[in-house]
Amino acid sequence: MPTTTTSAASSSSTSASASGNNNRQADVFSRLASSDPEVKLKALREVKNQIIGNRTKKLSFLKIGAVPAIASALADADDSEKCNNILVQSAAALGSFACGFEAGVQAVLDAGVFPRLLRLLTNPDEKVVDAGARSLRMIFQSNQAPKYDFLQEKNMEFLFSLLNSENENVSGLGASIIAHACGTSVEQRVLCEAGVLEKLVILLDGSLSQREACLESLATVLKNNPEAVSDFVGLESGRYLNSVTELTKDRYPRTRLLSCLCLVVIYNTSPSYFVNMGTKSGLITTLLELLNDPGQSGDDAALGLSCLIAGKEDLQKLAYEANAIKNIVDILKTDSELQPKRLQGLFLSLAELCSKLEDCRCSFVSLQVLDLLINALRHKDADVRAAACICLRNASRSVKNLSAGRFNSDHVMLPLVQLLHDPSSSVQVAVLGALSNIVLDFSSPKSSFIEFGGIKQLIELSKSMDPDARCSALRALRNLMFLADNKRKELFISDVNAQGFACLISDPEPPVQEQALALLRNLVDGCISSIEFVFDEDGLILDTVGRQLRKGPQAHMAIQGMYVLTNVASGTELHKEAVMQQLFPQATGSENFMLKFLQSDESQLRSATVWTIINLISPSSPGAYDRHVKLRSAGIIPQLKNMVNDACLDVKIRIKTVLGQSMSFGDNY
Amino acid sequence: MPVRVVESNTPAQVSGTDPGNRSQLPPSSLLGAGQAFSGTQNVSNQQKEEAWRVNVQIQGIDLEHGYLCGTMEALNVPMADTPVITFWEGEIVDGKNYTFYTGKWEATREDDMRHWSKFPSFSPLQGQVESDGGRQLDLNNYPYIFMRWKEQYFVNVGTDCGLTIAGFYYVCFSCSDGSISGFYYDPNSSPFQKLELKTVNEGRSGFSFSSYELQ
Repeated sequence: MPTTTTSAASSSSTSASASGNNNRQADVFSRLASSDPEVKLKALREVKNQIIGNRTKKLSFLKIGAVPAIASALADADDSEKCNNILVQSAAALGSFACGFEAGVQAVLDAGVFPRLLRLLTNPDEKVVDAGARSLRMIFQSNQAPKYDFLQEKNMEFLFSLLNSENENVSGLGASIIAHACGTSVEQRVLCEAGVLEKLVILLDGSLSQREACLESLATVLKNNPEAVSDFVGLESGRYLNSVTELTKDRYPRTRLLSCLCLVVIYNTSPSYFVNMGTKSGLITTLLELLNDPGQSGDDAALGLSCLIAGKEDLQKLAYEANAIKNIVDILKTDSELQPKRLQGLFLSLAELCSKLEDCRCSFVSLQVLDLLINALRHKDADVRAAACICLRNASRSVKNLSAGRFNSDHVMLPLVQLLHDPSSSVQVAVLGALSNIVLDFSSPKSSFIEFGGIKQLIELSKSMDPDARCSALRALRNLMFLADNKRKELFISDVNAQGFACLISDPEPPVQEQALALLRNLVDGCISSIEFVFDEDGLILDTVGRQLRKGPQAHMAIQGMYVLTNVASGTELHKEAVMQQLFPQATGSENFMLKFLQSDESQLRSATVWTIINLISPSSPGAYDRHVKLRSAGIIPQLKNMVNDACLDVKIRIKTVLGQSMSFGDNY
Repeated sequence: MPVRVVESNTPAQVSGTDPGNRSQLPPSSLLGAGQAFSGTQNVSNQQKEEAWRVNVQIQGIDLEHGYLCGTMEALNVPMADTPVITFWEGEIVDGKNYTFYTGKWEATREDDMRHWSKFPSFSPLQGQVESDGGRQLDLNNYPYIFMRWKEQYFVNVGTDCGLTIAGFYYVCFSCSDGSISGFYYDPNSSPFQKLELKTVNEGRSGFSFSSYELQ
């Protein structure tokens, strides 16, 4: 289109150009419906050529209904030779629409042309078969692909007919169907029993496309299935495992990636096949190199690496020694905009590296990665935001760095607090995890989190419908109140009344109860006046704690409950007597819960219970003797005498303390 | 209380729990995060007698790796206007992560033995430590915990405050009453400066415990 120099003219020329495009599109579109096969064919070729690799064009053709039109062209074409070109071009165009474009896949499936594409596979003309197979492969790359029922015999027959085909696109299609549709262990087993592994491994020696399809489908069939892995490794005494391992050195990056991902699946399912340290190192090094690949392989490599090292300290160490952190940070620091999937994978890999190794966390902090993470917290993709939060959570799992206040700044805290309102629930869960750690500032004078109104937000979240959110919010509050001074505790207590807190302690979910009690434990530690909180509203909170403990709770919850009682019992006479009230309520016929706890398998519970007793009969308090008498007649002191050789040293030592105090009251060992 | 690191369910591949199978020292409730200790460090030299009041707080403990850390606050330090706070990291002598032999910080084996033998609770172990480094010792069941504490940096003052943190402490902790004694070792400072601490109960009649949980 001619352009002019004036802006008014150029804007009109732009709109003229746009309408020119629209006119051309409309023209092509109408020619698709032509009864003249030559015209139709030409239109099909034009559409196909315009949309290949061009997402914008795909979208604009989609909007004018090109897909149903092409689907009609395909359906109307008969099987005569004359129509073969139309079949080929329409299948190719549909395949192109579906290629890497979810809306395209949707449109193709909505147009109802899927069965027609399947029929192309039995066409006598090889070109038609090829086009059909390629097109179907594109559809099966997507999660929207139709479910394939492997359990139906005729479907299995059809699948094997594909795998047996000489045509590489068709056998590749068979492998693709497996790669994307096989989901359950039942399906994996059925496929293995039908001999799919033997068919797939033949493709390893085939063309590039077959090899790659084979690697993808192997990973799917073997994933989390030790029997399938064993079958695969057993094939020709490990020949194919070796082949896959060799392919990690292939010249094509995508082949290297897919073989790595296959090995990751095998390693995660049955690590015993990887005794050789060299293989593990090689796998890590290859994945690290692939991180630099600009295409999809790089994206997938990042996620693959995080999958591989997840939960495995030895592999994390290998990766750290192979300079993984610096490699990843260098990629993150490049100017070019990275795809969300790659960012997610890179952050998750960093997160895994920091999950157990303190060296990694320290090197992470020293490489000034925090700024990169803070930016990622504002990314438009929820998965990236969540991954950045998980990374922060793991990096802040370091008492040393927390103590140094590395995360306690406005710059870090503000975006995190903002994410508490994120529309994505997975981001909310992830940010709560990060905040749980970061609020642990060992009571430094300034808490950015509190200044940004974080306490109120956590209190809100502690009332969430989602029990995980309630639990996480309470954990964050608990950590915030660790060694907190009265001023900080007051900020919490003023917004939560006794009734509200009692509800948290009696939450239906035990993990929530546990965190609520742990929070309470911290609230009543420290300055002795802070114990008063449990007496608000006629001692509602203390009563609730007692009631929960009498219900025979899980050990983790009981431990926290007993430490609440321990802490209260370290207070004044009144406090100690109030604890006795909870241990020996007037109307009770059931066995005293302390006796049960003393016989628990959990040493921490036995220890916590003994501490309560130590504090109750602490010699410095006037009522200690009377309390001792009561504890003795309730069978508690005698029970302790039976435990002088407790298996846990700490429990043994505490019991010795009690019995020593007991002796000073005139009781004999 | 020892720190329990918990991996929660997350959206993606981050997972895994700590392997808890390796044997480790049992937690001593008095040597846990949040526990506070108070006492003195004797900094006397030939010229004069002097002692600083010292407060110590444990911030974290990881028994699996024989690691702990915390802060140390020295009061009435003549060169300083305010109390001086340092952050320290500790090694627990557990026979697995660390032994009685320091192997660094300019401390020779002789220095090690000279210092450990100043703790009465070390004498039953001395023979075995001298002969084979104490490999056969069951430190899990011994009611004293031996550690080395090394200050890493000043928290609230600059490095030009006139104080040094070049050395480290040999430390003995009593599991039964939580008392701590230690000796500061620094080839360039007065030898055997003694640290003596007791648990602090903040005006309470008994013991009180806080805890946190890292995610």
